[in-house]
Amino acid sequence: MAKRSIIQIKDLKKVYDLGAFKVQALKGLNFDIEEGSYTAIMGPSGSGKSTLLNILGCLDRPSNGAYILGDDDVAHMDDKELSGVRGSRIGFIFQSYNLIQQLNVVENIHVPLFYQGKDISDHYDHCVKLAEKVGLADRLDHRPMQLSGGQQQRVAVARSLVNEPLMLLADEPTGNLDSTTEQEILDILDELHGEGRTLVIVTHDDAVAERAERVIHLKDGLVDQDIRKGAAKAVAN
Amino acid sequence: MQGISFIRIIGVGIKSLRLHKLRTALTMLGMVIGVWAVITLVAIGEGASHDAQEEIKSLGARNVIIRSIKPPSMREQMQGDWESFFRRWMAIYGLKRTDASRIKDTVPGVTRVLPLMTKRMTAIHGPREIGCQLIGTYPYYPEFTQAQLVAGQFLNEAEENSKVSSCVISLELAQRLFAGHNPLMERIVVSGYESSQVFQVKGVLQERASIEKLAQLPDSVGQTIAANVYIPLSSFKALYGEKNVDRSVGHLKLEAVELSEIRVEFDSVDRVMPSLPLLSEALNAGRDERDFEIIVPIRELKALQKQKARDTRLLMYIACISLLVGGIGIMNIMLATVTERTQEIGVRRAMGATRGDITIQFLVETLILCLLGGGIGVVGGWGFAWVRHHLLHTTTIVTEWSVLVAFGLSVMVGLVFGLYPARRAALLDPIDALRHA
Ligand SMILES: Nc1ncnc2c1ncn2[C@@H]1O[C@H](COP(=O)(O)OP(=O)(O)OP(=O)(O)O)[C@@H](O)[C@H]1O
Ligand SMILES: [Mg+2]
Repeated sequence: MAKRSIIQIKDLKKVYDLGAFKVQALKGLNFDIEEGSYTAIMGPSGSGKSTLLNILGCLDRPSNGAYILGDDDVAHMDDKELSGVRGSRIGFIFQSYNLIQQLNVVENIHVPLFYQGKDISDHYDHCVKLAEKVGLADRLDHRPMQLSGGQQQRVAVARSLVNEPLMLLADEPTGNLDSTTEQEILDILDELHGEGRTLVIVTHDDAVAERAERVIHLKDGLVDQDIRKGAAKAVAN
Repeated sequence: MQGISFIRIIGVGIKSLRLHKLRTALTMLGMVIGVWAVITLVAIGEGASHDAQEEIKSLGARNVIIRSIKPPSMREQMQGDWESFFRRWMAIYGLKRTDASRIKDTVPGVTRVLPLMTKRMTAIHGPREIGCQLIGTYPYYPEFTQAQLVAGQFLNEAEENSKVSSCVISLELAQRLFAGHNPLMERIVVSGYESSQVFQVKGVLQERASIEKLAQLPDSVGQTIAANVYIPLSSFKALYGEKNVDRSVGHLKLEAVELSEIRVEFDSVDRVMPSLPLLSEALNAGRDERDFEIIVPIRELKALQKQKARDTRLLMYIACISLLVGGIGIMNIMLATVTERTQEIGVRRAMGATRGDITIQFLVETLILCLLGGGIGVVGGWGFAWVRHHLLHTTTIVTEWSVLVAFGLSVMVGLVFGLYPARRAALLDPIDALRHA
């Protein structure tokens, strides 16, 4: 492998303890993700895609196994360190945008920097530049409620970029959007990939998967297929 | 990690409060009402009790007032023999000057006694005629009753012999009889059933409130007439004789009372209660019927204080209920916002906020809300008290502890119920907070 791995996971498991019974959402995953790659995660509903992505984004913790992000063992970090990782090294894009209602476009984009102790007055131009990059130059003062779904998702994409993260994680980012808007968002993601960013996208949509270099299929909490397009080889796990 | 600027945190707090204007307003309303009610109610209670104590004090807590009252046998309806008929027609009763001197001589701790003779008359000046009470007394009457001389001088025994007798009139009479003119050195006619007399006004006296008004005691001397004309006791005796004969208009009745009132001053407040039995004894000597009453201001004062304490306590209960209602309002609104705010907390956590960041942000936000709401309540309560005190002239006293308790309690309620849910949400894993939609 020419490129260095950004993510290494080994025997990753997630168990939801519901008291009466346990749900094994992830049953032991092993794979690496290389720097600058574009990966799609697919699979039937309930196969554990979101669970996996949340763990990769440090929003949730694995029950078992190792997760190395860059050079750090994330699985054993405390909450404060994890907050730092989320704020400085990961850009997360949600299906439901998850913007903060009381803030306008520029302020929403700035949020991750805010929690890095970086004042908006010092980074205003940077935030505006990102807003322009996702095509919202004329909406800087708008609140989320005054934007369409596609526009809100653009804000979310810009926000995920503001702290120059190691990688972008997106959980069905176009799930709530019509196909035209979906294409626009995917074009932006393609562009980001072209700039050398690492992308991991959960999707149900083959059109999305088309654009990725690699597709990991999950089934019942296990990797079913791992397809790298360039090499066109499938690795059964 | 470098610190986030505190100003920015306040800015974030204000932004969230402004996003939810109605919720913010309702929460603040709860605080405002609670704080306002406590401060106001306590101030009203405090003012009332202060007034009552001041008024009682003005009667002189060291003093005891003895008044002539018509004995029961003279109050019965016409019936029976000639003797009883005569007793009712010509009622001779009441305190005598000998009583005054006996009290002075036999009751320990008595420093002074002040005898008073009173008579209902009409004061005339020019076209005006005002019903008044003529009071014969000693020069130390003002000190004794804590009345205030507002113009001229009070009586002075040495001037007795001048051609025209001097008198002092009460402020109320001066206002009604002279209607804005200066009454000093003016002559007034004091006219009664059997004689009219000219007096020269040499002073104006402002009386303090009477005990009847406060304690609602049965009034024996007739209604308290604040329109008073004061003359020396010796002049009174010279003009109207030893026995003060009073004819009730429209009744075939004569009443003869030597002294209407004797005021007794003790050397200290503590001496009053223990000396009462001796005082009664001195008065009962040589009497077969009780034709006097003893009014003890210190006793009234104590009863009144007890009553006021009860009233204030009642007000406090009401105040506590308003505080509670306000608190529940705050609680309700703050808890109702948890769902929404939890999701926001999840987003902020996903964007890198630590638990501490979230806690500080909500602390600041809640503090702004509470301090503002509590502050408005304090200002409102104080303002209300000021208006009531200065513009409506009803004594209203804001007490520091009520402000502290009201403000402290509601800020505490606000902080607890604003911070507790936020803190709980901050402790969740970000994903759990996010799922809270
Ligand atoms: N918080 C939770 N508590 C209990 N079980 C959970 C929880 N979250 C997910 N699960 C379970 O874990 C499994 C995987 O869920 P996950 O959300 O990862 O599926 P998914 O692949 O994202 O599905 P979809 O395509 O519908 O989004 C499911 O069986 C789900 O019921
Ligand atoms: Mg999912």
